[in-house]
Amino acid sequence: MSEVYKLIHPVKFFNDYISKNVRPDGRSFSEQRNIKLNVDAIKTADASALIKCGNTSVICGIKLELATPKAEEPNKGFLITNVELPPLCSSKYRPGPPSDSAQVTSNIVSDIINNSKCVDLTDLCIVPDKLAWVLYCDMLCLDNGGSLVDACIITLMASLKTLRLPTVTYDPETEDIKVDTNVQTKLKLNGLPIATSFAIYKYMDRNVTLVDPSSYEEDMCGGLGANLILCYNKGFLCSSQKFGGSNFSVDCEEKALKIAKERAQLAEEVIDVCIKNYESKTNTV
Amino acid sequence: MITDNDELKDFKLRPMKCECNYLNRSDGSAILSQGQTVAVVSVNGPLDIKMQSQSIGKATLEVLFSSKGGKPSIGDRYKEHVIRQTCESAILGCLYPRTGITVTIQELEDYGGFLACCLNACCLALLNAGLAMRHTFAAVSCAIDEQGNIQLDPAPAQLETSRATMTFVFESREKSLVTAFTDGSYSDSAYSEAMERCRSASDLVFQFYKQIVSKYSYVIG
Repeated sequence: MSEVYKLIHPVKFFNDYISKNVRPDGRSFSEQRNIKLNVDAIKTADASALIKCGNTSVICGIKLELATPKAEEPNKGFLITNVELPPLCSSKYRPGPPSDSAQVTSNIVSDIINNSKCVDLTDLCIVPDKLAWVLYCDMLCLDNGGSLVDACIITLMASLKTLRLPTVTYDPETEDIKVDTNVQTKLKLNGLPIATSFAIYKYMDRNVTLVDPSSYEEDMCGGLGANLILCYNKGFLCSSQKFGGSNFSVDCEEKALKIAKERAQLAEEVIDVCIKNYESKTNTV
Repeated sequence: MITDNDELKDFKLRPMKCECNYLNRSDGSAILSQGQTVAVVSVNGPLDIKMQSQSIGKATLEVLFSSKGGKPSIGDRYKEHVIRQTCESAILGCLYPRTGITVTIQELEDYGGFLACCLNACCLALLNAGLAMRHTFAAVSCAIDEQGNIQLDPAPAQLETSRATMTFVFESREKSLVTAFTDGSYSDSAYSEAMERCRSASDLVFQFYKQIVSKYSYVIG
């Protein structure tokens, strides 16, 4: 019955829930969905992670390659992120070249990673002007259940945390490259950026901030994807993006910042625990 | 920390110059310069669009951004997304169901605060096209340098030394936040302070809109 009601009166259906201070999926306004994280999900990738956050699931794989650095920045390597939204993840996407929303999400994710400066690109350089690592980080969305950017950032960071760089020796005279996979070093990370998405809904005269919105809630609040994305790294904001949704007042802003800060800590714990489990397992085998 | 309102009023933005109806074939157009940053915007609509992209409840907004080089990039898609979302919240799309509105932006010069300039030019072009709007909007950009000083509407030299740049878009009625996007990392307090300063500075942009519009319309101005 409620499914029919939802189709006939979509706005009233949603408002009825909001007026009772509950969301259609039974969560309260500031309640997040559980995060399930699994590292090293793809054995053939150099590092990988799979996240399931509510219905949203994103898999991330990192591939290492060697390249010559850019002439303008001879002592820097490359970190290339890409988010793919295949038709598999939602009926909104069609097969073919990357859709606008895939490109926008890709851009937001790469901006967050660059702005947070969590990876120092000079660490990826092996021999200045000659040899540097390229980290191809591909994120594939398996199911788009909302708050896509959050999930992408968590998988990406979990993968980066497990990434090990093999030792490379370079002979400047013969230009010979030798890769030794037995001696591996961890990639140095500076902090751990965590993004939190919000949807902002105008109900009567007040703004309702929905934390970690599902795709249905995102659609109801207007706009493509989440309305507000805040990203914290080591207590500093490294990205704040607001698009569409209801217009935003100062007190809502403060509340959102607080929630985002708490969630950053929580997600950090999840990643740490997951990696600790993984490491203890690989060490015993 | 600046709390005094009088002090906020002295905030200066770079000089703005605008010409409406710059393009004579479009329904509304504007060329806007903020300092040396220049953008041209053309608005057409409401017009007929393909069946599949029509929406029965509201007008479909299409935003096209062309950079100076002309080569499309992922960054351009992001700019289009920002502009589309901002315009969508401003235009009363429900008055034009099953139609399309196209907004085309051409980059001319980028000397800092480019996206803010584009957004302001879009608002002027929308006003010029006579589309029904909920509110007008004003974009203000600012930069935070290493010492934590906030510089409104930064020039390229100031951008180079900054650790973060932010752009905020406010609406005209309650001055609430419509769109925001940032670059670089910064603390919470710097963020809120920058937002408050930009909110006050948005008044200057709204005054400028009034000045421009009153030149050709006695009713709105």
